[in-house]
Amino acid sequence: MPYSESFKDHLAHPRNAGEIADADASAELTNPACGDRLRLTLRIQDGRITAARFLAYGCPPTLACGSALTEMLVGHTPGEAALITRQQLTKSLDGLPARKSHAAALAIETLQEALRARALPDN
Amino acid sequence: MRRVYLDNSATTPVDPRVVEAMLPYLTEKFGNASSVHFYGQEARVALDRARREVAALINARPNELVFLSGGTEANNLAIRGIAEAAIEHGRHIITSQIEHSAVRGVCDALEKRGWEVTHLPVYANGIVRLEDVRAALRPDTVLITVMLANNEIGTIQPVAKIGALVREERERGRKYLWLHTDAVQAAGRMPVDVETLGCDLLSLSAHKLHAPKGAGALYVRRSVRLAPQSIGGHQERERRAGTESVPLLVAFGKAAALAREELSQRIEHLRRLRDQFEIGVEARVADIVYNGDREQRLPHLSNISFRYIEGEGLLINLDMQGVAVSTGSACSSGSLEPSPVIRALGRDDELARGSIRFSLGKDTTEEDIAYVLEVLPRAVENLRRLSPLYQKSLAERACETTPA
Repeated sequence: MPYSESFKDHLAHPRNAGEIADADASAELTNPACGDRLRLTLRIQDGRITAARFLAYGCPPTLACGSALTEMLVGHTPGEAALITRQQLTKSLDGLPARKSHAAALAIETLQEALRARALPDN
Repeated sequence: MRRVYLDNSATTPVDPRVVEAMLPYLTEKFGNASSVHFYGQEARVALDRARREVAALINARPNELVFLSGGTEANNLAIRGIAEAAIEHGRHIITSQIEHSAVRGVCDALEKRGWEVTHLPVYANGIVRLEDVRAALRPDTVLITVMLANNEIGTIQPVAKIGALVREERERGRKYLWLHTDAVQAAGRMPVDVETLGCDLLSLSAHKLHAPKGAGALYVRRSVRLAPQSIGGHQERERRAGTESVPLLVAFGKAAALAREELSQRIEHLRRLRDQFEIGVEARVADIVYNGDREQRLPHLSNISFRYIEGEGLLINLDMQGVAVSTGSACSSGSLEPSPVIRALGRDDELARGSIRFSLGKDTTEEDIAYVLEVLPRAVENLRRLSPLYQKSLAERACETTPA
């Protein structure tokens, strides 16, 4: 099995699964090629991400990337979070098989979409 | 951690009795079956015995068997062998949409070289219809290749009826039409008789029968001419050149003998545990869909789609708890495409991606099934908790039940 121990741990014990009610930022993206889907909701208080939750459908790397990403976000400002790269996410899982790199891309795009949507004026 | 192997359609554990039978041919009985001296003759005798045993499993004559390396080579030799030998008589082949990649791939390759291939549909039950075969027949059809039982959903195809149709055509004076069936999954799990089936060619693999990987056979009915696909020595009556792997074929022979002797007990055992498994899953997991006909199928296999989740995630979750299953076709699980077999049943992408094959073996126990029934519902539940599709469906159900 090409998956790392850290990867399997995220899969067996997903961190921050679920959804934040009345989230301050959220996005749900689908990879049109394979149908993988990721939903991310964030609580932002006093300019920092204080909670992050994810829901995911798709191949195991999509689930593990969702889980690992939520762990990386808490404590950061939205500006800092926007700088997280695919490579950093992949590294936090001790790597992904090349044929599964789309999972990290979907996670980072969903994060950026959530942060962008939040930046839009509400009224 | 307890380990439970429910992937017997991918391969089976080698039976210790088979290991015992083959060992001398890895050590002191090492001769080449084509040699004239004592060592060669010892190997020849063993090979002849193996051929009789494998022939008996399918009610064939020993000299109608070509020993080779496995199911893929058998399918290649059958389909390309007939297509090339019959090229003057027609270039049309009929096959089904749910064949193993070793048949599908050969047909695709022939299509690129100018043959025409009709892919028969299967319906929601995963079974080919005889009237579709009849309608697909053309004057230039030389080969029908339809598997005896499917590797992913286990559905048994009406090969005997197709065989009768081919015989009818022959009685009407048609000479150049043959029937091939891939019986790799069926052998050892249901009675297989080449006379009842009326087939001209039939593929077998040893490692699905509790023998090692690397051996197989193609049954070729007497008088059927094939273009050999490997050329060199005179082995296998010039239909497959290359020194025979005596130890592997001895193992194949022993495994075939055991499969024949134990067939009815094995079928009963597999069906009982498989049914127990399905009843248990139904009681513990909601929103499941069975794939393929539940009557006309092999006794050892259950293919289930779990709604709202994806198969590979479930596979890895089960693997982490010691349970081995497969998703999609075992050979193509590296591909992101949903299983073509499940798609051929008319299922949507989500159900196709959420399909899992559980395939039991003669050594599977009740305790194994009990353990899987303990682990599986939790794994499904954990993945559904993560699934936005599941959360959406829960929200929709809540709306439906809220009074207006």
